[in-house]
Amino acid sequence: MSARLRAFVALTLVVRAAGAQDPRLAQRLDKPTYVAVNAIVDSARVARLPTAPLVDKALEGAAKGSDGQKIVTAVHQLSIRMAISRRALGSNATGDEIKAAATALGAGMSERDLQRLRVAAGKRPVTMPLAVAIDLIGRDVPVATASSLVIQLARSSVKDSDLALFQRNVRADIDHGADPTVAATTRARGLVLRSGGSAPKPSE
Amino acid sequence: MRDDDIVNVDDIARELRRPVQVDRSFDERVMRHVLRLPRHARARLWSRLTAPRTITISPLGWGLAAASLMLFAALGVLHAKDDFHRAARPIAKALFPTSPKASPAQRVQFVLVAPDAKKVAVVGDFNGWDASHAAYQAQKRGGGVWSVTAPVPVGHHRYSFVVDDSLWVADPTAPRVVDTDYGLPNSAIVVEDNK
Repeated sequence: MSARLRAFVALTLVVRAAGAQDPRLAQRLDKPTYVAVNAIVDSARVARLPTAPLVDKALEGAAKGSDGQKIVTAVHQLSIRMAISRRALGSNATGDEIKAAATALGAGMSERDLQRLRVAAGKRPVTMPLAVAIDLIGRDVPVATASSLVIQLARSSVKDSDLALFQRNVRADIDHGADPTVAATTRARGLVLRSGGSAPKPSE
Repeated sequence: MRDDDIVNVDDIARELRRPVQVDRSFDERVMRHVLRLPRHARARLWSRLTAPRTITISPLGWGLAAASLMLFAALGVLHAKDDFHRAARPIAKALFPTSPKASPAQRVQFVLVAPDAKKVAVVGDFNGWDASHAAYQAQKRGGGVWSVTAPVPVGHHRYSFVVDDSLWVADPTAPRVVDTDYGLPNSAIVVEDNK
């Protein structure tokens, strides 16, 4: 091997090392899945998206015993949702916001809802409002209602701690037999009124 | 007698002070001999590293080298920016232990009521979904209650309980996460930096 070729190979190896992947992927995934997930993670890195959620998604699939194709599909879908989330929330969105927004998109929220939430929250983080919205949707509150309520709460500058309390109260109401939509709307109305805003409507 | 001695000393001193005529090729012959002597390995290496040399390289070679360097720089910048926060936290913690941003994790208590369980673990984004992670093994308390208090980094995380290494259970006290990717339940937690 000539000196020039040796130098080129060394440079290539250094470049490869700069984009090194999480070693846990190699340990938990089979070879074809590992290669495919790595390619998606590399693409996300080039697109300046957070890569940790993609690795976590692959590790989650491996832990849950999913097959390779399902893992690759899930990681790919998540990368797409993260790209949409960043577009909706703006380039200054944090990794946590993008991750939560991607989960919210997976739960059924729309890109438009994310944009409205961003505007309503201003410079405040939207991670907690999104977590609450995801929870409401998971408890059978319609997506449109859940989105509208958290946007109203964000517009009313409700604190994250109050949002967490709101989520716990709605959950308790539902556990006691209340209709999910009624419970969420009623609790949100009370919270907004207490913070000095105008009461939200379910379908706003 | 004493005067003769002084004269002799003066003669000797004069002779010693007289410039010596050395052959002009003397230096060259000495240096040639020195250079032929075996040298120490470190000296040979240093000589090879520091000796100027001419390298010829084709335009294609230059292009490949330049492209590789540019690619390396671009990937390095992207990689550094992507992992900046994760990398910065431990560094900040090491450098500024009292800094408000030096607290990347909070201790969180996870509780599950599972009277019939033999083993309960917490898995999530914060431990690589590893059910064997020692720090996230719940301990059995009274009344079928299992709990563990473990560090969770600041941020948004998805997690679940794994009962007896096979049953996945969402945390009934935490926000749910609709996740159709793998068909098993998850919960969400948002850990804030309290400091």
